[in-house]
Amino acid sequence: MGNQLLIRSYNVGCGDCFYIRIPNGASKDFHILIDCGTKDDPDVLEQAIAHLRDNELPKDASGPNKRLDLVVATHRHEDHIKGFDPKYFKGISVKNIWITAAMNSKHEQAKKSLALHAMAEQEMRSLASSGLSLSPELRGLVGLYGIDNKKATDALTTGTLGATKVKPKFVHAGQTSGKLGVKIKNTKITVLAPELDIDGYYLGKELDATIRGMQQGRVNFNKVTGSNTPLQPLNISPAEFRTLQSRMISNGLAFAVDDSSIQNNVSAVLLIEWEGRRLLFVGDAEWNNGYAEGKKNCSWNVMWEKRQKHLTSPLDFLKIGHHGSHNATPWDREAGPDEGVNQILNAILPLPAGNKKPTAQCIISTKRKQYDTIPDAELLAELGQRVRNTRNYQQHLKNLDSSFKPANDVFNYSVIKEYSKQPSPREVGDKGWLTKDQPFRTDLESSGRGSAEWNGKVEFVEVNLKPNTD
Amino acid sequence: MSSISPVHGAKSKVFHNNDECPVYKKAKKTTLIAGTTKNLCQKCARLNEPGIKLTPENRRNLYASAKYLDTDAKKKFGLQIPFEIYLQDPQVAFDNPTLGFDEAFYVNWEPGITDGPTSARFTVVDYNGDAETLGTPASWDSKSSQFLYNGLPINHSAAANKDHFQFHQVNVWVVLQRALMQVEDSLCLGRHVPWGFPGNRLIVVPHAGYGQNAFYDRESKSLQFYYFDSGGHRIYTCLSSDIINHEFGHAILDGIRPYFYESTLVETAAFHEFTGDLTAILMVMRNNKFRKGLAEGTNRDLKAASALNSIAEQFGSMIDEKPYLRTAVNNLTMEKVTDEDGPHTMSEVLTGTMFDILDRFARSYYRDRKKTWPQTLFFTIQKMQQLAFQALDFLPPVDATFNDYARAVLRSFELANPVDPHHYYNIILEAFHKRGILTGRQESELRKRVDLRNTTQPDIRYSVNDIGRSRATAYMFLNDNRRKFNIPANQDFEVVDLYDAQKCTADGRLLPKQTILQYLWKEEVLLKGKRFGEFDGELTAISCGGTIVFDENNVILFWAHKPGTQGDEDNGNRNGILRRNKFLEKLTHRIKSGHIGAIIGSGKGLLGTMIPQMTVERKSGRLDFRLAPHFKLNDDIENNFKSNRKWEISS
Repeated sequence: MGNQLLIRSYNVGCGDCFYIRIPNGASKDFHILIDCGTKDDPDVLEQAIAHLRDNELPKDASGPNKRLDLVVATHRHEDHIKGFDPKYFKGISVKNIWITAAMNSKHEQAKKSLALHAMAEQEMRSLASSGLSLSPELRGLVGLYGIDNKKATDALTTGTLGATKVKPKFVHAGQTSGKLGVKIKNTKITVLAPELDIDGYYLGKELDATIRGMQQGRVNFNKVTGSNTPLQPLNISPAEFRTLQSRMISNGLAFAVDDSSIQNNVSAVLLIEWEGRRLLFVGDAEWNNGYAEGKKNCSWNVMWEKRQKHLTSPLDFLKIGHHGSHNATPWDREAGPDEGVNQILNAILPLPAGNKKPTAQCIISTKRKQYDTIPDAELLAELGQRVRNTRNYQQHLKNLDSSFKPANDVFNYSVIKEYSKQPSPREVGDKGWLTKDQPFRTDLESSGRGSAEWNGKVEFVEVNLKPNTD
Repeated sequence: MSSISPVHGAKSKVFHNNDECPVYKKAKKTTLIAGTTKNLCQKCARLNEPGIKLTPENRRNLYASAKYLDTDAKKKFGLQIPFEIYLQDPQVAFDNPTLGFDEAFYVNWEPGITDGPTSARFTVVDYNGDAETLGTPASWDSKSSQFLYNGLPINHSAAANKDHFQFHQVNVWVVLQRALMQVEDSLCLGRHVPWGFPGNRLIVVPHAGYGQNAFYDRESKSLQFYYFDSGGHRIYTCLSSDIINHEFGHAILDGIRPYFYESTLVETAAFHEFTGDLTAILMVMRNNKFRKGLAEGTNRDLKAASALNSIAEQFGSMIDEKPYLRTAVNNLTMEKVTDEDGPHTMSEVLTGTMFDILDRFARSYYRDRKKTWPQTLFFTIQKMQQLAFQALDFLPPVDATFNDYARAVLRSFELANPVDPHHYYNIILEAFHKRGILTGRQESELRKRVDLRNTTQPDIRYSVNDIGRSRATAYMFLNDNRRKFNIPANQDFEVVDLYDAQKCTADGRLLPKQTILQYLWKEEVLLKGKRFGEFDGELTAISCGGTIVFDENNVILFWAHKPGTQGDEDNGNRNGILRRNKFLEKLTHRIKSGHIGAIIGSGKGLLGTMIPQMTVERKSGRLDFRLAPHFKLNDDIENNFKSNRKWEISS
């Protein structure tokens, strides 16, 4: 629509695929794609890109292809990049690629975190190919390091994603669209994260020491093992040895967990300022209370410390991080309303005063039942008070389908289990919270209501923004 | 054996000076040479003593009679062999050379010792999980009764190289061999003690990987020791005898009371911690060198007017705030600690009580017997070891509390000291009462000593010889006496343990043989209500049962039991119902506090962070709770982890 900015979140299951159109008189509109990934089958992404190509993108002036002005890969997890497959982008000419600086293999200040990632990847791949049966939690973790990601990473980092090759830019905090060679009318994009010193900010001293200690220990130990030392001890049986190995503490596993958190925290975070409107896309940036003690370096905490001037006034749109997980939106339900990270949320999405209605909007790209704790229903209810594009989903779903019975359809433990006064956890989550207004969420907007099976249709959730004429 | 002029001056020099010792120089090429002891230092002379030369067959034959020989004789005949190991750990050795390294740490020789080291009850597997490789095992040389690496003896000079992994292998094995020897000795449990897992060899992993961890794991039948960097040093937990003995204590308790691991009571978990600490503390105090330092620090010289440290205070200062020797210097009582404080803090109440008893024993003994202070300490520490360990046999098979232990200690003391002229019994009683482990009423009741005629005796008598012979006969005995032992009529039950123990007192008196029997059954209970959180509507079980201790004359010396809600109809099953209510209350608390979760792992290893305190499994339609191994040395991490947030992967 004419002069309105469009934000569209394709329903890709548990993943992100956000299309933004910044208007400038049709042929000069600026088309952005932020992330393209899922935990599910990539077919859903293929269809989303096809839809985008066929319905939204303009023809490229310099060839037969369609034009996509900017692709952004916030971080390397599969639910954000799996769909960056050249196959899907045939017929699309990508003009700019921005990737988080943490994915630059040559980045001097990311050496340690890259090494950690390589270690974690090796460990997880080895686990995947070991044939061992894995618990659901581990399967999820291993999936993050799948082979598919390599393909996407290569396509992005070599710039061979689209029909024509481009040189990608590895972005870090402080950079702006202008400096990155991208000119958009009446628009400025500022990168708020990650800080250039990836290792310094996001690795942490403790982890660094552990990695070094572990590597040193390995070296020392290998020095004293003879070359003909067998891999099976002679004084215990093979079965005993297998059991022993399964009950030893695995640093590799711990590193994979650490690494997956670090990857979230080095998400490229973009602030788009257009016509007096402020839009924030946060990838999977996390927050943590341990930040103050120097324990866990999370992106929200770092941004608040280093880039606060960009976060002290309200947003018009927030892309909710990490599919609605409790630790990706700076709301601490155990702290006082103005304590800790609640200061951040109050700055960017304040609770409207008095009887006023909120004016901001947000979207959660998520899929219920993927994980117990995502999305966090209580968080969504809290956000429902701070944005205007909300629904009472219980009512909404009943209207759509008279046979809908919330009691049968509940799931999703809330993160904090409350006991004596609250319903039991099996009832907390969806049921209790569905009657509270929640922001638009791709799963419940879908006709499949976020069920395990993809219904094969291209679906999306959209919001529009008008220029700010105040 | 006579006068040897010590060329190396074993008194003036601490360590064996290899470069000067002609024996050692030769030993580099071959094994030690028998013969003259002239010009040898004490240590070499001892190793090389002529006079008693046994063939291997002689030695094996004598080994069969070893229990009739005293320690000196055993050493002479090579039935006990010396090793050089760290008394406490390398840091202590560095700070305090006289105290730090023990050149003559004797352990029992066994005919079956092989590479590893491997012995009857322990086998060292030097597998490093980070490197995924095996270290070369120390190699056993039966001729010289020592372990070798690349043909050279593994001893102190090997220790000087901090990364001499074969020395570590031997060090940890020796500490464990000796600890087991002490625990099985008649001064303590007086029998061979099984492990808590199927099998008899505990796997010992000295370099499991990088981390601030050491733990006992029943599932893999192992004791695992990790290493970490701190203050610029690499700390190997396998070189710290305190850590080794603490984890060994867990293994021993799990062997004699395996059902403690299934208890949902924080107090039982605390008892497990107490046992680990107690073992570590007693082992180090049994060491002559350490005790000497302790004696000097506590300094009971009547002539000196200087301030006297309590034993606990001095001990505390000598162990220098190590996390695995919970502080003995505390004033905690049961009123001051709650389940929220966690098992480690709670265990300190009991550790503190034992130190109180030790302190008062020592002072009374010193005053009453007019021995020197070092002699006093020697005797009272032995007495403490006897008291503390022998009482373990008197614990019920499940859900042990500190109160159970107090009663066990008192009864065990009574039996070993039927005549108690200096009323040490009252010292024990007062100590437990002061800490709130015994109530005032219990204290008055227990002050009246037990009249054997009034103890629980069965309605239908069996001979203890028959009972002790087989579990099947023991079952028949219990079945015929269900009413007496509060076993419900319609409940099948199991005899879970049956053994004899031949114990002695600290002054070497043999006690009458005891036969100990444990029986157990499980009573199902439905968890109904929102307070059980995600377990609402599921079934679990309360373990019930008892321990009976007989003497040779069929007299029941002690009966400790945990009732169910049936079987004691005469008293309206009051105790059983109270117990069930307490069980549900404690379980609720565990659930609410997020103590119950899953250990994440695969065939390649476990995620060591975010470990819950307890795990749960569903077996035969019932929830089965179990204590998780406590991986971290630093218990703060454990107590602070709340699994209210179910484990999430940041994906």
